[in-house]
Amino acid sequence: MTIEFTLNREPVAASNDKADMPLLWFLREDLRLKGTKFACGIGQCGACTVLANGNPVRSCVMRLADTQGMAITTIEGLARDERQLHPVQQAWIEVDVPQCGYCQSGQILSAVALLERTPNPTDADIDAAMTNICRCGTYVRIRKAVKAAALRSKATRL
Amino acid sequence: MRPPAIAHSVDRRTFLKASVSAAGALLVTIPLPPRSLSAATRAAEASTWCVYLTLHPDNTAELMSPVMEMGQFMRTTGPMILADEMDLDWSLLTITWDEPVLMRKNGKGELDSRYGQVSAGGSQSVRNNWDYMRQAGATVRRMLVEEAAARWRMSPDSLIAQDSFVIDPAGDRRISYGELAAKAARRRVRPEQIKLKQRSEYRIMGKDAVSADIRDIVMGRPLFGIDEEYPNALQAVIERAPALHADIASYNREAVLAMPGVRHVIEMPRKIEDHWPGGDAQVLAAGIAVVADSLWAAMQGRKALQARWKNGTSDDSAQQIQEFRRLVAGDGVANKLIDRGDVDAAFATADLVLDQTYEKPLFAHACMEPFNCIADIRSDSATVITGHQVPHWVAREVENITGIDGLKVTVVSKRMGGGFGRRGDLDYVREAVTLSYRIKQPVKVTWTREDDIQRDFFDAAAVMRVRAALKNKRIVGWQHRQAQTRGRPEASEYFPANVVSNYRVEQFASTSNIPCGPWRAPTILQWAFATESMLDELAHAAGEDPLAFRLQWLQPYREYPIENWAAKTIHSGRMAACYEAAARLADWGRPRPKGTGLGIAGQFTFGSYAACVLEVSVSEDNELKLLHAWGAIDCGFAINPNHIRSQMEGGFVDGLNAALFNDARVSEGRVVNDNFGSLRWIRLREAPLSIEVAIIDSGYGPTGVGEPPLPPAGAALANAIFAACGKRVRRMPIADSFRI
Ligand code: FES
Ligand code: FES
Repeated sequence: MTIEFTLNREPVAASNDKADMPLLWFLREDLRLKGTKFACGIGQCGACTVLANGNPVRSCVMRLADTQGMAITTIEGLARDERQLHPVQQAWIEVDVPQCGYCQSGQILSAVALLERTPNPTDADIDAAMTNICRCGTYVRIRKAVKAAALRSKATRL
Repeated sequence: MRPPAIAHSVDRRTFLKASVSAAGALLVTIPLPPRSLSAATRAAEASTWCVYLTLHPDNTAELMSPVMEMGQFMRTTGPMILADEMDLDWSLLTITWDEPVLMRKNGKGELDSRYGQVSAGGSQSVRNNWDYMRQAGATVRRMLVEEAAARWRMSPDSLIAQDSFVIDPAGDRRISYGELAAKAARRRVRPEQIKLKQRSEYRIMGKDAVSADIRDIVMGRPLFGIDEEYPNALQAVIERAPALHADIASYNREAVLAMPGVRHVIEMPRKIEDHWPGGDAQVLAAGIAVVADSLWAAMQGRKALQARWKNGTSDDSAQQIQEFRRLVAGDGVANKLIDRGDVDAAFATADLVLDQTYEKPLFAHACMEPFNCIADIRSDSATVITGHQVPHWVAREVENITGIDGLKVTVVSKRMGGGFGRRGDLDYVREAVTLSYRIKQPVKVTWTREDDIQRDFFDAAAVMRVRAALKNKRIVGWQHRQAQTRGRPEASEYFPANVVSNYRVEQFASTSNIPCGPWRAPTILQWAFATESMLDELAHAAGEDPLAFRLQWLQPYREYPIENWAAKTIHSGRMAACYEAAARLADWGRPRPKGTGLGIAGQFTFGSYAACVLEVSVSEDNELKLLHAWGAIDCGFAINPNHIRSQMEGGFVDGLNAALFNDARVSEGRVVNDNFGSLRWIRLREAPLSIEVAIIDSGYGPTGVGEPPLPPAGAALANAIFAACGKRVRRMPIADSFRI
């Protein structure tokens, strides 16, 4: 038996003896995809956020076995190509959100998931969805960038 | 990396060393004398600072940014200074990564960075590099202009430089820097021909720039030490004694060695030594390292160790706070740190005396990126890859542990996922170096969040009793009497010193095993919490508006000389201007609805001035909400307003987190809340919705912005809560007193 899922639109298989390994460590150590970050390991901070079937999950507390059949997206797979960044990434650049940058992969993916569900989020929607810790305190810019991304996405849809 | 071909003897008549690379690019190294040294030392150390800049024939440029980056934006700010002075086209500049830090030994054989101050700390990077970067830029510009002038047979003074071209305005022609570079490299420029720009001539500085690394960050590129791979490196995690000073009692050595992938199980010795802010502290805990083929295997091995420990201390942070309360409340004799004027007489003749006690717990650092370090110790050379605020200390540590000459140590300093003062410590470096030295193989050590908080060097806990005397609504006497875990109040020379002439600061000695260390604006948030809360209490007691009271208090506006490592003067008018600007943004005079209030606070920190106004609401059922904030900073010339605003926003939020939540608790010698589950940390929904920032142009030279935005936050919050609901909070963590 193997664990099979798609990662950034490519199929991935892992042997079953890794069933209990958190997805975070499989990504970082086995696949050497370092964009997903470790910061607490207990599902509290969101630095390790990835998208599982479009939903934000904390990969440090997701067993590899539980990814069976899922579509996982990490920060590396968000932009379809180098020149065409995702609107959320573009908004992050426009607002110049990051300071140290360590939490930002997780913040960006959380914002992507929020905007998929709620294309025009209110402040209350942003409060509820953006629960990741930023140690540098970039929250004011995160809020601005989520709104800027909503505008960009709307412009693309029109 | 650029070839480190630096001439050690410097021709005093020319600044510049330049050479042509194989690809025809100009490589410029500019040795300049270090700042703030005596003339004699200056001459001896004249070759100690360089910029590595490469100009390519296609007119693109590459710069090796010399200053460490931990989110304080020096990788953007430093290059802006240089690029502006040399009239470089900013869009053609790439700032390179992962260059080994170049080092030298001074006359006494001590290691130092070869290029001035590449280390980061104390909000000093801009000040340390301002003169050098400008000199370097102006020198290169002159070389290029002289080369163009020679080609066109014109006087260099009739040409101008702009956006990576030298232009002949009369002849309507131009040549790119890239074309000029190779030949310009052979030019020697006289110091008297180097002219720094006037501020009005700046084209890059003074305008908003985004982070040099923004694209890499939003694409999740592996920029941090924790992302680094190294050939043949084994992975290590370390189980450390949870209680301070504890030793190993027992652990399952054989069982762990038998686990798949585990290669070594190694005992790590405890180490106690003198540590800032003074006194012996445990700098390395006793531990058991599990070294394995993979990080996952090492982590599994660690779990299976089932280590037991003995002889830990019984330090208890809550008991220590009680002891501090007892000390400051009693009339025991304390150490007088400052005693000016006649404090006792001022109190004896006052109209009104307020006497209040303010408290703060231990603050943890919790840098977002857990510590990590790769060490590859060979027989007579070594490589260390890590994020560290002071890279030459890393090389010095290798020298201390292994005896390898520090100049044979390659230190690659990675982008840091936060530093906040904690990445100036060497514990994680020592561990990796010790292990690699021992097993003769490259090793990467990785910490967990629990490791980080358990082994933190905290910002000291403190109890501060402030007595202030009012006469005719003027403050005539001030006494600050305090006890704190370790060290002393770093801001005691700042206001209210000088503005209040009868001024005393005294402190009780404390004996604690709890280690402390530099924490973003060390001990200054507590100082502002006590001072600015008391100012507010005085204003209300005198029936004055808190803003008007402060502005009146700081009169006459003037500069005072002070004795402080980071500043030689402090100006009451610059502080007042910050209060006024923040209040103006906040529309201070506009009445707020019931249950909503504004609080103001300010603080001078290491050369810069910052003030904040915060709006909060407190509901009938005690729910606290932070609504909006407005800040003003005077950090002299604003090189990159965008990043100054960013630091104001983030620093203020960090200060709010400290005041609301940051509360590391020690019991039986061990930290009991060692991850974000038990140590609460501010999140987006608790932060203010908006923070607006005014940057004050006072005409002074640039000073730092990494720390100054933080200290006013605690007092601004306490003062806003009072304005909103009439409740005075004098104890952090403030979240203990409200629902938030
Ligand atoms: S590392 Fe997964 S939530 Fe913090
Ligand atoms: S940018 Fe540093 S932790 Fe968020």
